[in-house]
Amino acid sequence: MSRSSICLAALSAPVAANKLGPPSPACQAQPSGTGGGRGGGTGGREGLSCTDRVLVRVQDLIPEKADQLIWLRARVHTSRAKGKQCFLVLRQQQFNLQALVAVGDRASKQMVKFAANITKESIVDVEAFVRTVEQKIESCSQQDVELHIERIFVISQAEPRLPLQLEDAVRPDGDGEEEGRATVNQDTKLDNRVIDLRTTTSQAIFRLQSGVCQLFRDTLTEKGFVEIQTPKIISAASEGGANVFTVSYFKTSAYLAQSPQLYKQMCICGDFEKVFCVGPVFRAEDSNTHRHLTEFVGLDIEMAFSYHYHEVIDSITDTMVRIFKGLRDNFQTEIQTVNKQFPSEPFKFLEPTLRLEYTEAVAMLHEAGVEMGDEEDLSTPNEKLLGRLVKEKYDTDFYVLDKYPLAVRPFYTMPDPNNPKYSNSYDMFMRGEEILSGAQRVHDAQLLTDRANHHQIDLEKIKAYIDSFRYGAPPHGGGGIGLERVCMLYLGLHNIRQTSMFPRDPKRLTP
Amino acid sequence: MQQTLTLYLQLPLFRRLKRNALFIMFIVHLLLYLLTLPVIMSLSDDDDISYHRSPLLLNTQGGLNTQNGEVEPAVKALEARQDEIMRKLYELKAAVEGLAKTVTTPDADLDLTVSSSSSLSSQSPTSTTFRGTTDLDALLGKDLGALRDIVINANPAQPPLTLLVLHSVLCQRYRVLSTVHVHSSASSVPPQLLSCLGPRHPDSYARQMFQLGFTLIWKDVPKLQMKFSVQNMCPVEGEANVARFLFKLLSPYPSDPAVATLVDSWVDTAFFQLAEGSSKERATVLRALNAALGRNPWLAGPEFSLADIACYCCVLQSASASSAPTNVQRWIKACENLGHFGPAKLYLK
Repeated sequence: MSRSSICLAALSAPVAANKLGPPSPACQAQPSGTGGGRGGGTGGREGLSCTDRVLVRVQDLIPEKADQLIWLRARVHTSRAKGKQCFLVLRQQQFNLQALVAVGDRASKQMVKFAANITKESIVDVEAFVRTVEQKIESCSQQDVELHIERIFVISQAEPRLPLQLEDAVRPDGDGEEEGRATVNQDTKLDNRVIDLRTTTSQAIFRLQSGVCQLFRDTLTEKGFVEIQTPKIISAASEGGANVFTVSYFKTSAYLAQSPQLYKQMCICGDFEKVFCVGPVFRAEDSNTHRHLTEFVGLDIEMAFSYHYHEVIDSITDTMVRIFKGLRDNFQTEIQTVNKQFPSEPFKFLEPTLRLEYTEAVAMLHEAGVEMGDEEDLSTPNEKLLGRLVKEKYDTDFYVLDKYPLAVRPFYTMPDPNNPKYSNSYDMFMRGEEILSGAQRVHDAQLLTDRANHHQIDLEKIKAYIDSFRYGAPPHGGGGIGLERVCMLYLGLHNIRQTSMFPRDPKRLTP
Repeated sequence: MQQTLTLYLQLPLFRRLKRNALFIMFIVHLLLYLLTLPVIMSLSDDDDISYHRSPLLLNTQGGLNTQNGEVEPAVKALEARQDEIMRKLYELKAAVEGLAKTVTTPDADLDLTVSSSSSLSSQSPTSTTFRGTTDLDALLGKDLGALRDIVINANPAQPPLTLLVLHSVLCQRYRVLSTVHVHSSASSVPPQLLSCLGPRHPDSYARQMFQLGFTLIWKDVPKLQMKFSVQNMCPVEGEANVARFLFKLLSPYPSDPAVATLVDSWVDTAFFQLAEGSSKERATVLRALNAALGRNPWLAGPEFSLADIACYCCVLQSASASSAPTNVQRWIKACENLGHFGPAKLYLK
C-alpha cells in the first residue's frame, strides 16, 4: 500500500486547473468527475495499482501490436484540435507517433478540449488502443500506427511560453532563411540547453559521443591498458605558466591541471606500462574560436614501448581506426539524424593509418605555393590546406604527421637521434584539424634537465617531475585527444559547442 | 665373422625375417668380438693388422663406429669422397638445366629463377633486360626533399597483376617504400591482397631514406586510378596507362616510333581484349600472339618490353595459359625464366 501511496503523491501535484480527471489515475477504484478518464469504468480496471501498469516505449509500437490497449508516458510534441477531434503528436527521445482523441462513447467534448489545451512539452500518461493506418504518417517516426486515446492524464505540465521551439531548433540553417521560417541561433540554444537537448539532433550527437568514450575504453582495455584517474588540482603549471586557472587552496593557491601529462608519465615509471585516462582538462586560453573551450574532456594515452616509438603511434592509430569503425557500424542512425540538420561528407580513413613526415608536408605545401620555413610550425590555415591536399591525394580524412621540428615542441619531447633538428613527435589530424599532439618523452633525468635549461625553464618548479625519472624509467610515449573535437570532426560539424553538453568558453559560465 | 656378415647382407629383404636366427648369431659374434678387442689391442700394437684394421662392422644402430663411437679415418675418407661425387653430380645437373633454360629464353644470360625466387630485393638482374638509363629527377620533377609517393587506388575485386610485377621490378632498381592500405569504403579484403607488395621494409620508419613511394590503397573504385603530383598531374586511370607510367621509370620506350606503337598496341590488346573480352576475342588474340611470336622471340621484336609483361599477366589472369598455342607456350616459359613474374604467380596461387 505504501508503494501506491507514493505513486499517488507524485502524480497528484501538477494537474490541469480545470480539475478534469482524478489526480492519481489508477490508484483510485472509481474515477470522479466528467471528462478525461471516463473510461475508468471498464471491468478489471479497479484494484489495479499503478505498479501493475507497464509503460511501453514509442519505438516498440509497430503494426504487430495493433488493437492492443497500452499505457504510454511521453511528451506532447504538438496538439491540434479539429472540430470533434484532437490530434496529438507524442514524443519520446527520437521517436514520435500520432495520437487521436475523438468525441464518442469513450470521450466527451470536454475531454477533447482538455487534450487540445495541454501545453507543448508537458509530460502525459496515456491509455490507448494501437490502431493501424491505411496511409503512412510521414511526419512521425512510427509511420504505420496511431493511438486512439481512452484516457489521458497530465503528469508534469510545461509553461505555455517556451523560450525556443523544437522544430525551429532542428531546422537546417539554409532552409530557414529561404522559406522565412525561424531557426534558433546558437547562443539561445546554449542558454536554454535543457530544451535544446531534447531535439533529435542533440540526442543523436550526445549518444554518439557516449559511443566514442565507450569504444575508446573498450578498445584500450582489450589492448591491456589500465584506466587511471589523475588529480586536477596541482601545484605547478605543467605546460607553461600562461594558460592555467588559479584556485585558492587554503592559505596558498593551486592550479587546475592543463593535462594529465605528468601523472601519466609517473604511472609509467610506476610500472603500469600502458595507461589511459578520461577526465576534464582546463585551459585558460582567451581564444574565442570555433574549436576552443576552456574546459573539455581529454582522452589521454601513455605507454612504454620496446624498441621504437612508432609502436606508440601504431597503437594510437589502431585505437582511432577501431573507434571510427565502431561508430560507422553501430551509430548509423545517429549519424544520419545529425546529417539531416548539418549535412556533411561521410568520414573516410585508411587502415593502417597514413603516416607522412613533416618534410613531406612542407614539400606538399611548397608545391601548392605556400611560403614557409623548414622548421616553422604549421599555422591553422596551413593545416587546413594540408588536410585538403592529403584528402585529394590519398582520399583520407585522418592521418598522422610524424617528425616535427624540435624547436616547436615542448621541452620534454625526445629529439630525433638521427637528425637533431627534428624530434620524435607527431600530430594527428581529422578533416584537416589537429586532434592529437603526442611524442616520445624524454625518460632520462639528465637529458631532461638539459632540455629544460635550453628552454629556460625554472628547474625548481619542475623538480618533482624530473625526480620521477631518476629511479629507472622505461622509454615511453603517448598523446591526448579531445573528445568534443573528435565528435565534432567525425560528424563534420563546425562548432565545438554543439558537441559539448554545457560548454565553457571565455564568455560562458552557465548553465 | 665376415662370412656371416656377407651372407646376411646378400639376403634379399623379404627373406630376412626367416633368417633372424642368423642375425642373432651375428650379434652374439659381434659382442664377443667387441669384448675381446681390448684384450687383443693391449697385447699387440702393430702386429695383427687384420685385427687392428677392424672390418667395417654394423652395430645395432647402423652406423660405422668403433667401440669408442668415433668415426674411423678410412670411413671418413670414403664418406668425403662420396659427398664430393654427389655434389659434383648435382652441380652438373643444375648447370645443364640452367643452360637448357637459357638456350630456350632469348635475352637471358643466366638462369634467374633460382636467385630471384627467394626475395624481392635480389641484385640487379634487370640490368640485363631493361637497358637504358633513367633519371628520376628528369622524369618526375625535381625532388623537393621529400618522398615521391605514387598512390594507386585499386578495387580488390580486380587486382592489378601487371602493376604488382612492375612494382617488384621497381624495387630492384630503386629504393622503394611500399605500403598497402584498406580504404574505409572497401568492405572485406582477402589477406593475400594485404601482403601482395611483400614484407615491410626494415627502414620503413624513415620515409625520407627512400627514392620512391608505392602506396597501394584497396578501395571501392570503378576503375583503377593513380595519383602522383596533385598540383601538376591529373589522376591517371586504367591499368594500361598506369603500367605505361611505371614502365617509363625503368627504361624509356623504344625510340623507333613504329616499335613504340607496336608495344602500345599490344598493351591495349592485352587489357581490352584479353582481360575483359569474350572467349572468342581471347581466342583471336591468342592466335595473333602465336603468329607474332613465330616471327620474333618477344612480342615487340628482339627486345623484352612492356608488351610482354602486359600480355603475360593478362594471359595468366584469363587462365588460358594451358590451352595456348605452341609459340605462346614457349614464350610463357621464356617469360617465367626471366624471373620477374614471381609475385604474379604467387598471387594467383
